Amino acid sequence: MAAPALADERVAAGPGGRARRGPGRRRDHLVGALLVAPALVYFLVFLLYPALSALYYSFTDWNLRSDANWVGLANYADLLFDDVKYPHFWTSVRVTLQYTLIAVPLTLVAALAQALLLNAIRRGANLFRLLLFLPVVTAEAAVGAIWRWLYDPQYGLINTLLGLVGIPGQNWLNTPELVIPALAFIAAWQCGISMIIYLAGLKGIPGTIQEAAVIDGAGPWQRFWRVTFPMLRPTTFYLLVTGVIAALQVFGLVYVIFSGNGRSVTGGPEQSGLTYVLHLYLFAFRYDAMGAACAMSFILLVFIVIVTALQFRFVRQEAS
Amino acid sequence: MRKASMYAALVLLAAVSVVPFLWMLATSFKHGQDIYSKVPSLLPLDRKTGEWAATLGNYDYVLGVGGLGGAFVNSVWVCAVLVPAKLLIDALAAYAFARIPFPGRDRLFVIMLGGMMVPAITLLVPRIHVTQSLGMFDTGWGLIVPNIASVLDIFLMRQFFLSLPAELEEAALIDGAGRMRIFWTIVLPLSKPVLAVVTITSFLFHWNDLVWPLLVTNDPELYTLPLALQQLVASPDGGRAYYIMAGATLAVLPVIAVLLVFQRRILAGIAFTGLKG
Repeated sequence: MAAPALADERVAAGPGGRARRGPGRRRDHLVGALLVAPALVYFLVFLLYPALSALYYSFTDWNLRSDANWVGLANYADLLFDDVKYPHFWTSVRVTLQYTLIAVPLTLVAALAQALLLNAIRRGANLFRLLLFLPVVTAEAAVGAIWRWLYDPQYGLINTLLGLVGIPGQNWLNTPELVIPALAFIAAWQCGISMIIYLAGLKGIPGTIQEAAVIDGAGPWQRFWRVTFPMLRPTTFYLLVTGVIAALQVFGLVYVIFSGNGRSVTGGPEQSGLTYVLHLYLFAFRYDAMGAACAMSFILLVFIVIVTALQFRFVRQEAS
Repeated sequence: MRKASMYAALVLLAAVSVVPFLWMLATSFKHGQDIYSKVPSLLPLDRKTGEWAATLGNYDYVLGVGGLGGAFVNSVWVCAVLVPAKLLIDALAAYAFARIPFPGRDRLFVIMLGGMMVPAITLLVPRIHVTQSLGMFDTGWGLIVPNIASVLDIFLMRQFFLSLPAELEEAALIDGAGRMRIFWTIVLPLSKPVLAVVTITSFLFHWNDLVWPLLVTNDPELYTLPLALQQLVASPDGGRAYYIMAGATLAVLPVIAVLLVFQRRILAGIAFTGLKG
């Protein structure tokens, strides 16, 4: 009789948790609550409260100099429709979308190519994997600093190498049309995390399926498009969704790349590198327009939710 | 033959990945005038004679005048306090969420997980405001306390704790051991893999983090290494690539050392969690 009762208790206690009776149980309640308390306080103070207050402030004209006055939807309406008050809002949207549309596919292609190659060799695979992973662990401040120097129009390595194959050097970070491709290339250079995840996906494809395709006479190209790539669709979908969410929030790297004098940031030539979050940062911390910045952050949140939902609706449906 | 072309492609890709670091390293050891060479060199060579001409002067300058010495110490301090404290807070909470029943536990856990869905950017502005209200703006505490727990890490550790055989802990309970003793003597020693992944990723994240220190500090005495490096880039020295690359090397070398030592755990951890930071 005792065993089923114990089983019930365990169910009540949640997975793996063993509930006790009497004083032991009361002590469990106390210990459990105490252990969770620090994390809970952190959650309330630095996550929940900021999220709710950001929503509230987005409906106010809060700046650092005066109290916040309720202005309803004015911030949202002005950001979206008043191009006198916020002349660069749509510029930053366009810049960010361009960046996302170039950087995410480029990153996925680079990551998949690297993963396929690593998966196909045996000798030296660990060393190559390590070398290809190096850019990922590098601080974005250092990445920005290194690439400013690589892209240097006169003495940079990129233009020198291009010169070797007869391509004229470019002023990469000072030519509006080249800024986004130059930034996207850095993103692809840092594709190591996607590469590792693709590699894990490739290891998960049963060897028997590939062998069957070989027996059926499929060449490497056919095997990739008919077997490997379809089998990797869940991985690709995951990387696409998370990659888009990250790309829409790109900030630190752009901040370093376009650092001007002191703490001023330019957003690149003719705002060609003014990403959405860089713009948000400028509003919040340069122009003291906290209310508008909070509204911008919720516009971004809604946009991310919509884009992610659309990807689930259309991309995953196609994938399944 | 096909293997050969695969290796050729990999060598090329690896070169794209690594050459920027080699060039950073070479530049950091070059004398000022030698970086303005018509033919950039991956070795610190004299621009005119082509002879070996390495110098440590750039490091001298950025560590001292450039302010990166103090920033390096700050970064070490922040990581030395933040990473263990965060690990402890997260592990304790994760253990309770996994094993110690109390009323409302699972509902609370789901709510906290929901908080992970909000993009970090949305929280940034009000988080600074909270930090200000707590009197921690532009202080060392401000670099540490607002980052001192992570819902993602709690989630990862809870999942791991749940995968441990419950019988061990139950036997200890029956033998009269308290929850905390079980946590320290049974659960933690069995959890080294997840503790390692969480510790390493959180070190890498906070060592590299630029955005939070940028927002929460004004005083150059408090700058962490990434922020000091960004400030150097933004200063009149920003055009002097030999200084900047010496600074970048200082920021990069520790994480490369960590990657070399812990590569297996880091790569396994990423394949497992799919996330960084």
